[in-house]
Amino acid sequence: MNPVRERELSLTRRQLFGNASKGIGVAALASLLNRKLFADESAVGGLADLPHFAPKAKRVIYLHQSGAPSQIELFDYKPKLAGIAGTELPDSVRQGQRITGMTSGQNSLPIAPSIFKFNRAGASGTWISELLPHTAKIVDDIAIIKTVNTDAINHDPAITFIQTGFMQPGRPSMGSWVTYGLGSENQNLPAFVVLLSQANALNRDQPLFTRLWSSGFLPSKYQGVRFRASGDPVLFLANPGGIDAETRRSMLDAVAELNQVTEKSYGDPEIATRISQYEMAYRMQSSVPELTDLSKEPDSTFELYGPDSRKAGTYAANCLMARRLAERGVRFIQLYHRGWDQHNDLPRDLALQCGGTDQASAALVTDLKQRGLLDDTLVVWGGEFGRTVYCQGHLTKDNYGRDHHPRCFAMWFAGGGFKPGITIGETDDFSYNVTADPVPIHDVQATVLHCLGIDHTRLTYKFQGRHFRLTDVAGVVNQKVLA
Amino acid sequence: MPARYFLSFSISLISCSVSLAAAPPAAINFDRQIRPILSDNCFTCHGPDEKHRMAGLHFDTKEGAFSKEGVIVGGDSAHSRMYLRVSNPNEAMRMPPAYSGHKLTPAQIDLIKAWIDQGAKWETHWAFLPPVPPELPEVTAKNWARNPIDRFVLAKLEKENLQPQPEAAKAVLLRRVTFDLTGLPPTPSELKAFLNDQSPNAYQKVVDRLLASPHYGERMAMQWLDFARYADTHGYHIDSAREMWPWRDWLIGAFNQNMPYDEFTIEQIAGDLLPDATQSQKIASGFNRNHMINFEGGAIPEEYQNEYIIDRIEATSTTWLGITLGCARCHDHKYDPLRQKDFYSFGAFFNSIDEKGLDGYKGNAVPFLQLPTDAQAHMKQQLLEAIKDKDKEIDAAEAQWEQQQRNVPVLDVSSGLVADYAFDDSLANRLQPDTVAKVVSGKFSFTQGRVHRAADFAEEANVNFGNTGEFDSAKPFSIAFWLKPEGPSGMAILQHYEQSPKSGPGYEVALDYCKENCNIIVRIRANGTDTGIETRSVQGVELDDWSHITVAYDGSGKANGIQIFINGHDVKTSTVLDRMTTPVSLKGDLQIGNKDWGTPLKGKLEDLRFYNRRLYASEANQLAVVNPIASVLQIPTGKRSEDQTKWLRAYFLKDVANPAEKQVGIDRATLNRGKEQFDREIDSTMVMKELPKPRDTFVLLRGDYRNHGDKVEPNTPGILPPLPKDAPRNRLTLAKWLVDPANPLVARVVVNHFWQMYFGIGLVKTSEDFGSQGDPPANQDLLDWLATEFVRTKWDVRGLQRLIVTSAVYRQASTVSPELLERDPENRLLARGPRFRLPAEMVRDNALAVSGLMNDKIGGASVRPYQPKGLWEEMAFGGDFSAQTYEQSHGSDLYRRSMYTFWKRTVPYPSLNTFDAPDREKCTARRGTTNTPLQALVLMNDPTFVEAARALAEREIKEAGSDEPGRIRYGFMLATAREPSANELGILQGLYQKELSHYTKDPAAAQKLLSVGESKGTVKCDPAELAAYTLVSSTILNMDETITKN
Repeated sequence: MNPVRERELSLTRRQLFGNASKGIGVAALASLLNRKLFADESAVGGLADLPHFAPKAKRVIYLHQSGAPSQIELFDYKPKLAGIAGTELPDSVRQGQRITGMTSGQNSLPIAPSIFKFNRAGASGTWISELLPHTAKIVDDIAIIKTVNTDAINHDPAITFIQTGFMQPGRPSMGSWVTYGLGSENQNLPAFVVLLSQANALNRDQPLFTRLWSSGFLPSKYQGVRFRASGDPVLFLANPGGIDAETRRSMLDAVAELNQVTEKSYGDPEIATRISQYEMAYRMQSSVPELTDLSKEPDSTFELYGPDSRKAGTYAANCLMARRLAERGVRFIQLYHRGWDQHNDLPRDLALQCGGTDQASAALVTDLKQRGLLDDTLVVWGGEFGRTVYCQGHLTKDNYGRDHHPRCFAMWFAGGGFKPGITIGETDDFSYNVTADPVPIHDVQATVLHCLGIDHTRLTYKFQGRHFRLTDVAGVVNQKVLA
Repeated sequence: MPARYFLSFSISLISCSVSLAAAPPAAINFDRQIRPILSDNCFTCHGPDEKHRMAGLHFDTKEGAFSKEGVIVGGDSAHSRMYLRVSNPNEAMRMPPAYSGHKLTPAQIDLIKAWIDQGAKWETHWAFLPPVPPELPEVTAKNWARNPIDRFVLAKLEKENLQPQPEAAKAVLLRRVTFDLTGLPPTPSELKAFLNDQSPNAYQKVVDRLLASPHYGERMAMQWLDFARYADTHGYHIDSAREMWPWRDWLIGAFNQNMPYDEFTIEQIAGDLLPDATQSQKIASGFNRNHMINFEGGAIPEEYQNEYIIDRIEATSTTWLGITLGCARCHDHKYDPLRQKDFYSFGAFFNSIDEKGLDGYKGNAVPFLQLPTDAQAHMKQQLLEAIKDKDKEIDAAEAQWEQQQRNVPVLDVSSGLVADYAFDDSLANRLQPDTVAKVVSGKFSFTQGRVHRAADFAEEANVNFGNTGEFDSAKPFSIAFWLKPEGPSGMAILQHYEQSPKSGPGYEVALDYCKENCNIIVRIRANGTDTGIETRSVQGVELDDWSHITVAYDGSGKANGIQIFINGHDVKTSTVLDRMTTPVSLKGDLQIGNKDWGTPLKGKLEDLRFYNRRLYASEANQLAVVNPIASVLQIPTGKRSEDQTKWLRAYFLKDVANPAEKQVGIDRATLNRGKEQFDREIDSTMVMKELPKPRDTFVLLRGDYRNHGDKVEPNTPGILPPLPKDAPRNRLTLAKWLVDPANPLVARVVVNHFWQMYFGIGLVKTSEDFGSQGDPPANQDLLDWLATEFVRTKWDVRGLQRLIVTSAVYRQASTVSPELLERDPENRLLARGPRFRLPAEMVRDNALAVSGLMNDKIGGASVRPYQPKGLWEEMAFGGDFSAQTYEQSHGSDLYRRSMYTFWKRTVPYPSLNTFDAPDREKCTARRGTTNTPLQALVLMNDPTFVEAARALAEREIKEAGSDEPGRIRYGFMLATAREPSANELGILQGLYQKELSHYTKDPAAAQKLLSVGESKGTVKCDPAELAAYTLVSSTILNMDETITKN
């Protein structure tokens, strides 16, 4: 929008708020106004030629399970393993594949079957773990891919790969590409929001890095903005003590007037942009607290997402926040949940992780569906690689661990153009190799972009003389998973 | 498919392609106008990359373009297949093909036609030809030009019918040049002095003063830190702390000493290789140790070792050559004549550093240089001397003991001995000299052992000992040997199986999975993997050290019938498997290092013995301690190995020495621990250091460290001048080659960097890419003149800055009319002075400086200013690693210049990051300059800026008299170096009055506002008044003009 018009509008809005603020919450009104009154101006930024074709999804909620959840306990049912517990992984299965420095020194690679049971669920009769009773209930709404595979065998390169399309740092994240291409649907909130939650497992690994939501070589305004549970939800959002909203408004009016004087004498268009950015900052000061204030949510919401959803910063609270962000048209909502790295004590820690996430993940899909948002919101669930069928450390009857496994792992997708109630891909009896329908990381990314109406080969950015893209030089849209 | 289309093109389509160009086009410049079209649209299939080339056609070189007749026919576009294909109305025939995603515009097609019709003149890409000093162009407005820079710019402007802007107002100019040369705003007295100095050379005097300021070095270093990807943490995964600030100090010093750029280059690329390299030169070589370093558990060292080299290639080629060598990592470059082989040959210069693939657990990764202060060096010397004194005392006592022991006979444990391999340069069994073990595969040798000689299983040697050690699970047996494990944990030591470990029967001794201390596993298998017995020692042996192991089995078929002795001590064991259903006979061959049977042994083995009975504790002790010590004592003092000497010393102190002697030993150990602890307190910095023998370098197919292609030697890219024939192929030669005036790129690239610093955009906009995909220079004559002048003046860096900032071009006002803005939005023609937002560091430094809070100390370790709580912790790995929790600094360290802010790569300092400071994971040649609401939030609410506003308000009250407009004017002037207009002053006064009454009514609010930040207030006044001034000052700090170089 034209910044001068933007400012005029904001003045008008303020007059309105000045009159209205006595009766209605200013923030609530602002939110309503921005959604309704300025609907025609809702798309901000983005590339002129995008979307390339009619999108199915307008936004993405990506529930990244950091550390790599075990596919063998959760989605990839391998009943035959029970009979060969403790036997060596056959060489014919391993086929000389590299394994990490954590188990390469291990004298033996004994098969560890899942200690957890699987049941059939939904009309689709999908096999799913007893650890995921809530996900089992939405199984007809999700598409499970059992054959996602990656090239990296350690966390840092693997998570960097799945989030940026390249194993080494320096590339823009998926959320940055999407907001660079499609712009924002919301004037009062960032287009790309990041939420973190901490492990439920006793072993809390692994670390996260801002590079996972960085804009790489894209302009830095496309980097993800963290919404935090403690302190300011957005860094430096709140006025310091002693500055109330009215003083802030007076101060910002003075800044704006002074900047207009400068604009007149220099003619630099950056000044007009700065004026409008200050207005956006001011709007964020009310729109973000309104967003993060869950007090208006009915009890039924918290019942749906589970008791944790009342505790700010938990995975459940973040899932609820993700829905609220989606409602407000935030383009890319990226969650990270830590603690899925079960090298040891897997039975204990995996159960804790699932206990902390299963209900909320399922609730999010249910909630979006109930609100009619699932059609144009794509929900993605998954880690950065899978886990080995063989045990890391000592294998006993009731305890074991699993090392990193890049060759197959499970992710699920809901809404936004994915076919509900299907499972794609087959793995061998050891959940070690893909036997049908491999889906490399770049294909996942290409398919997600496709749902957003983006041809992944055409969303490029020229840097260092090369037209870079999220999918590097690969990526094929997986038609099988699309509705 | 496209290839066939191209060749089978039919000439009958010519009539369809009619040019739409209205007027005859002006002379076409191939390099500027045509190559970029070809490069961007055609090179992917018709470029330097041979593997992906279609139809054998390529347009990256003249030879390629004209190799096939009829493709480009000079002067005749109608018969040039290139033109006919790109202009073909039939989509199936048109180039580039639709699937490529590329498409030529009608204007581009016309350009190609015009170029062919004008004779299809080919030119080498400009940047690969050495610059020649151009003639100074004639200009009309001769008086405007102050130096040759101006002539080149003015000539362009006159051609475009544009007028330069008049000189900026003195105050604006002073603020601009002070930021540009020191990164700081001018002080009021500097401003006053300059405004009052009416002499014609007043500005030159200012420039000289600024160039002599010690802050000049800081400002120059600021940009270089981005190239150097300087940071205070390792970057990958756990991202713990490192110490590279001594290198940063070197950098600031180098600029302040005006080190010529050629020397500056040589020291950073290869300072360590200079003859008699000084400490400072070694520190300088840390440029290429600033890359990210990994130690993620389980990562593969070769993979990361390779990434370090790739990073050095990219940082070095981007910084000095301005070419994107990184594109040739996986395949030949798509656009520039750079082969994949060039990339790895360049990498070979950096592949022989004495480093590890995974390192940095505890701070700096090897190699690093310790930098003790004089006092520390003195202290260390004292510690070393005290240790030496203790050593002397122990030496004397030990010598006395040895004297008494010399003739103690060695009584061998020989009862029940059935096989004995001494490895005394033979694989024979001493008891049956005819039975000799055989080396099956791998590299096996003999070496110095603990006592005598030993077998060295260094490189996957597999040795078969025949049927040695055939026992029965129902009968006792024992095995004893010396072991020095040198490989991964989890190795098998010796294995004796009839078929294989999986099918059994048989037995083995192995090392458990471990980090440093590895437990011993003894396994006797019956049939398959689930019957038999297995036990595991609860304490283990150290990797890379000698241990004696005795396994004694009582024949009971029970796991607890296996006893393990380490160095003669009976160690506790835990049972893993206890299911020996029926006794088995343990037949087959004894093998060491069989890859098919598990992880093969890497390490040394000595005195391997087999007994057909169970050995007792006293015998294990005799084999492990008594006899070996006696044997070593028989070796003359001077002939003992270092290991033996140490071992004897340890044995003496532990088992022989009297209490007084023991105390000396304890004191010595305490001193030594003190020395080690002290060593950790000494600052260090990572440096380059060559391995004694260079590593081999290979082309890596698809860039993957696992796929070795051809071996390569260190070399520079073929497109650039060759290295001197007889010079050694090392980094020093590379460094000298970079700054050889024959190199067409380096001088242009560096002057462009400086230009970018002043004008926001380089003369070549893509300062990281001078290749054919880069932007052509906006004014190549100016670029070439600056580059050649820089070399002519012996790479005088300070001189170059003076030249630029004293030009009339630089001194122009930065106001812009709507017409000019539309015509030249990015100011490439330079018809106005530069105006852009200050870099991140200066946004903060300006607030600190004008508020008077700044601590302008130069150099030293990084500091940790205010940061919202929990930012690191909620993402960190934690544990005992450094830089996992944010320990905020206090006192004056809160106000250091921003370039000293602790730079954590995985969680960059938020307020700098918000203003486009990079995370420094990679070499960055230019930053973006965005304009976002988050920036507004930082300036409004970050405690740094709120505290600065309060300090600025105090300064206004203290230094600007007692009247309100005077104080506000002073604050405005401090922040912008100019007086506010009446209008501006009115706005601020209005705000002041309003807020004064507000804070008078609400003193608690005033108190709250004034309590932000740790600095104590320095003025006594009404809190409401100070709060109102604070708000006015915050307003001033938020103004566009304040954070902008005008």
